[in-house]
Amino acid sequence: MKKALLTIFVLVSLPFNLYAQIDAGKIVKNAFAYWRGEASVSIAAMTIHRPGWERRMKIKAWTQGETDSLFVIIEPAKDKGNGTLKLAKSMWMYNPKVNRIIKLPPSMMSQGWQGSDFSNNDLAKTDSIIKDYVHTLEETTIDQGKKIYLIKSIPKPDAPVIWGMIKLTIREDHILLKEEFFDEDFESVKALTAWDIQMTDSKLFPMQWKMQKTDAADEYTQFVYDKIEFKQNLSKSIFTRTNLKNPGL
Amino acid sequence: MSVELKMAWRNIWRNPRRTILTIAAIAFASLILVFMLSFQFGCYETMINTSVKISTGHLQVMAQGYLEDKKMRLVIKDPEKVASVLKKVEGIDAYTFRANGFSLVSSERRTYGVVVTGIDPIKEASVSTIESLIRKGSYLDLEGIYDVLIGEALSRNLKVDINDELTVLGQGRDGSIAAAVLTIKGIFDSGIDEFDRNVLMMGLKGFQEVFSMGTSVHEAVITAHSLGDVAMVKQQIQNDLSLQRKDSGLNVPDWMEIMPGLLQGIQMDLFSGIIMYIILIVVVAFSIFNTFLMAIFERTREFGVMMAIGTTPGRITKLVMFESVCMTLVGIFSGICIGSLLTLYFQKYGIYIAGTEDILKEYGIPDRLYPRLSLISASAGPLVVFLITFVSSVFPAFRIRKLKPVEAMNAV
Repeated sequence: MKKALLTIFVLVSLPFNLYAQIDAGKIVKNAFAYWRGEASVSIAAMTIHRPGWERRMKIKAWTQGETDSLFVIIEPAKDKGNGTLKLAKSMWMYNPKVNRIIKLPPSMMSQGWQGSDFSNNDLAKTDSIIKDYVHTLEETTIDQGKKIYLIKSIPKPDAPVIWGMIKLTIREDHILLKEEFFDEDFESVKALTAWDIQMTDSKLFPMQWKMQKTDAADEYTQFVYDKIEFKQNLSKSIFTRTNLKNPGL
Repeated sequence: MSVELKMAWRNIWRNPRRTILTIAAIAFASLILVFMLSFQFGCYETMINTSVKISTGHLQVMAQGYLEDKKMRLVIKDPEKVASVLKKVEGIDAYTFRANGFSLVSSERRTYGVVVTGIDPIKEASVSTIESLIRKGSYLDLEGIYDVLIGEALSRNLKVDINDELTVLGQGRDGSIAAAVLTIKGIFDSGIDEFDRNVLMMGLKGFQEVFSMGTSVHEAVITAHSLGDVAMVKQQIQNDLSLQRKDSGLNVPDWMEIMPGLLQGIQMDLFSGIIMYIILIVVVAFSIFNTFLMAIFERTREFGVMMAIGTTPGRITKLVMFESVCMTLVGIFSGICIGSLLTLYFQKYGIYIAGTEDILKEYGIPDRLYPRLSLISASAGPLVVFLITFVSSVFPAFRIRKLKPVEAMNAV
């Protein structure tokens, strides 16, 4: 009798466990799909804050799917036209002053993009979290009537990643609230937080993003969207080296 | 000359063959120590001077924190003021200013991350050997501010030659994007791999313009008259800088702080050398110990007779000690003489060890090695030999005190 009860218990609880696993992966996938959209065009102000000084610039960005993107600086005037094009895992940079395109060597991928706290890797591999990690749902809380999922992501064995663990906080309507990066010893390195959720042209979206190093309270990079439009599709010609040189600002 | 000393001197020559062998052992140990220590010190000095001459200088002045983390923002804001201090400090041979920035450098075909260094072409030549290291093309001048020098390895990696153009893309001091097209004027080969692969040099003026530096620089590089003056010069610069402004925010690291790896390498080499020397000295000490012990056993009868006619055991001990000291001194003295002569010869003509060029090159040492005789290298080793042999002769000497005249006279 006891055995039968136990069997029933296991049988009943098993699907729940499985469900939880699939669920976490799905939540992450949906959140990142929601974040990027099919394609988007946006204008954002980026502020790099350091002890004693600060630098602001305005950036126009085009993204398509999970891999292709183009970032171009539109302000300050001195740096206008500097762009970064990313296709799959390759990146190119363009500088109008010298009118040259430089392909970024792999050794430079962990350097900060334009001196910010976002590394080139952060830009180039934003889809790696979906492919290279196993996600588990750690906790579900409720805030302002909405479910908040706390998800722990551990890299798959042999996956080419730089983080030892990532913790994600995702709201039930697919909005990514926080992404915290840990090293191999599970020490927190940096965290990306998002807030100021507003209705854009088609959907709710956090308008402010901040990447902050864990051990340096005075060092962060903040993104504030002026405008973001989500589209079904963007022309392939946007994500080309010709367009990197002359994006028609 | 006291009677004991006279007797001791005559005694040691009673068995000339044994004495000469013992003296030869002591002399040989001293000779080896003098030569090897001089040789090691010579190598260290060459290593230090090569590194100092190629890049770091004996001393540098830089912003607090720049040594640990080469952040572009950490600059010497007013190099003129630092220059006015350096002009007055005694013991400084030459100084120059430099600025550094990490950048992407790309040719038509390749891109690499390198350190771009802005140098003052005229002052730099008096501090470092860079001008003499140019293998192709020519050195920088004041006019061509967008001319650069690159290392031989980097030119191979980028597949470029002189008069080719390079694009540099990095970040300026104000955070803006620094970009420039530069022309390769010369290719240098320092022999230090890392330097030849990772460094690109341009005029300081051009650097300050491209990297939005204004008139600021990152480091003042100083060479002193000699390695021995470094500590004194450092102290004086520190004093003068802090006199000028209470909190100048400047740091004065010397070559040991700038290149801790070099110092550690030297310490490690010296340590393994010392172990070798200890083994050598212990072997010599045992042979001397054996000689003295034998001498005393052999002369038991003699000591018995001496005691019987009224010589105190203390006096005999003294006699035996004198014998050992005489022998050791003769050995050490001839060891120092021959060792010094040998060292001086090689100090003049150098030592060439076939087949070691490549490994030496890695440490920035030219292919001929020059020992360097100094008071320390000539005296430290022999002094230790003297102490050890002295100690090893004490034990046999004190055995004499236990002798009883009658028994001793009857001993074989």
